[in-house]
Amino acid sequence: METIKRIAIANRGEVAVRIIIACQELGIETVLLHSEVDVATRAYRMATKKICIGPATTAESYLNIEANVQGAIAGGAQAVHPGFGFLSENADFAEACEKSGLIFIGPSPKATRTLGDKVSCKELAKKLGLPLVPGYQGENQDVDNLMNEAEKIGFPVIVKAAAGGGGRGMKILKDRASAKELIESAQREGLSAFGSPKVFLEKYLDKAKHIEFQIFGDATGRVIHLNDRECSVQRRHQKIIEEAMSPSLTPELRRQMGEAACSIAEQAGYKGAGTVEFLLQDGKYYLLEVNTRLQVEHPVTEEVMGVDLVKAQILTAMKKPVFDERAGIVPRGHSIECRIYAENPYLGGVPSTGLLGTVHWPEGPGRRYEYGFEEGDEITSYYDPMIAKVIVWDETRLRAIQKMKKVLQDSVVFGVQTNIPYLLEILSHSEFVQGTMTTRFIDKHFSEALKTPDFTEIEKAAGVAALKQLAPAQSSSAGEQFDSPWLSHWRGI
Amino acid sequence: MKIKFTTNDGQTHEAHAQKVAGKLWVHVQGRTFMYEAEEKSGRKKGAGKAKSGDLLAPMPGKVTKILKQAGDKVEAGDVVLVMEAMKMEYTLKSEVSGQLDTINCKAGEQVTLGKLLAKIKENN
Repeated sequence: METIKRIAIANRGEVAVRIIIACQELGIETVLLHSEVDVATRAYRMATKKICIGPATTAESYLNIEANVQGAIAGGAQAVHPGFGFLSENADFAEACEKSGLIFIGPSPKATRTLGDKVSCKELAKKLGLPLVPGYQGENQDVDNLMNEAEKIGFPVIVKAAAGGGGRGMKILKDRASAKELIESAQREGLSAFGSPKVFLEKYLDKAKHIEFQIFGDATGRVIHLNDRECSVQRRHQKIIEEAMSPSLTPELRRQMGEAACSIAEQAGYKGAGTVEFLLQDGKYYLLEVNTRLQVEHPVTEEVMGVDLVKAQILTAMKKPVFDERAGIVPRGHSIECRIYAENPYLGGVPSTGLLGTVHWPEGPGRRYEYGFEEGDEITSYYDPMIAKVIVWDETRLRAIQKMKKVLQDSVVFGVQTNIPYLLEILSHSEFVQGTMTTRFIDKHFSEALKTPDFTEIEKAAGVAALKQLAPAQSSSAGEQFDSPWLSHWRGI
Repeated sequence: MKIKFTTNDGQTHEAHAQKVAGKLWVHVQGRTFMYEAEEKSGRKKGAGKAKSGDLLAPMPGKVTKILKQAGDKVEAGDVVLVMEAMKMEYTLKSEVSGQLDTINCKAGEQVTLGKLLAKIKENN
């Protein structure tokens, strides 16, 4: 068995906090590897040690392999947890960690290369006879060639960054005329977000559901799945609302897809947490890709299955057993996650940045909040706009939806605009409530920015009263809170 | 902080309210909004929304690509610039048809919210 006393976290935001909490529960210390600007964050305040690995620009900090490895060593860590995004699916990083004597918490570099590279993943899937979406995965990345290939597949075609995920570097090509600009844009986004401009093409299924299976390979080499999630509510291929389990699978489909997910992971010698993504259309499923890491939406699986995936990742890295079968891991109830983005829903979702004021997440049974920023922290434009995740659990899907609506209404975030009004509209839409939504749901029903509602009488009265009650005396105390660290410092003495 | 207030019907309500970076934020009855004194917000509303040849940065971020040059013909809906913020690309399209007058930014430049990035002279 490996001993891990301290884990370096090569990430930021809410996932860094999630990992720190798991470490705290296991009695493991943490080293946060952070950029220069990520100092006023919750993860920074919680980590045992912090090491600055570079400037704000991701290429020089969170995507810099050398800086992360050096930081982990300098921080005295025995292992590195990469979270999701950034270097989490980078086999070179995993390899660099191992070469320096650090345990990389995740699959082996070989498994990451096989499954993480979308092209070789498809080759393996083909060998195993798993159904795939038709597409082009060739090496010829010339834009004209890609346009010809797109025409061969037949529009609409989707272009994706080969090293990508999370919706970045993904575009839909509707016709040849607009294809060039979009392919180039996907190449640039791929380069900037993942360090590689390589893209591939795929037939775009226009009424498919996005369904994925949580898989886990334990230290003995056994791969199991922890059932499925549905993430059909996506905007620009970025998931917004996820749930476990999918309302759309029959037991038979669930069995087949679960087996397919385990077979490809087992074949690749997969260790740790991973996700096998599928598209489901007209009762047929197609393997989309494998994410060789923890997933943003892992909490809904945790809630429904009663497991802790992050702890399981760490225990597996220590070669310890996980998921005791005698405990009977069976799904229970329904869980939904909403991603809270710092953006303006009334301006079509443009990012909203600034200093956070009051942040209040209403407590109650079956509610869980994963957040990386608190009052006084600044949301900058350098990184992803996701500032928090709200997760609810209830006995049935409808009750979970009801609970989520109430929770979002009672949540307070001041200082930046959030997508909460947008989420509330989605949660009330009949297609979502019925569970029949496809990946085109947002395009179909929410392509326009929300209309700014007029103030109700009560809202106006609240505004007027607040102006009066927060007048001079109050605004100076707010100024104290934000502008002068000295005053609060002296007050504490 | 929490405030209490009374509406015309005599009912007392509670709200969250706070000034953050000079703006008043209010949360009441399940909705969060920014509130300005009436006369101020009124003036602001009148100013916006007409179609304009001015391309302003809709968010702080980086200009990654400039597709048109000064003097180019521009149709309404043409992409003039590409910006990147929070790792996503946003295309900035012209609202009007005409001729590109000036470009006030460079590829790679970090720009602030509301910066005038390009000016398009509208055809009459």
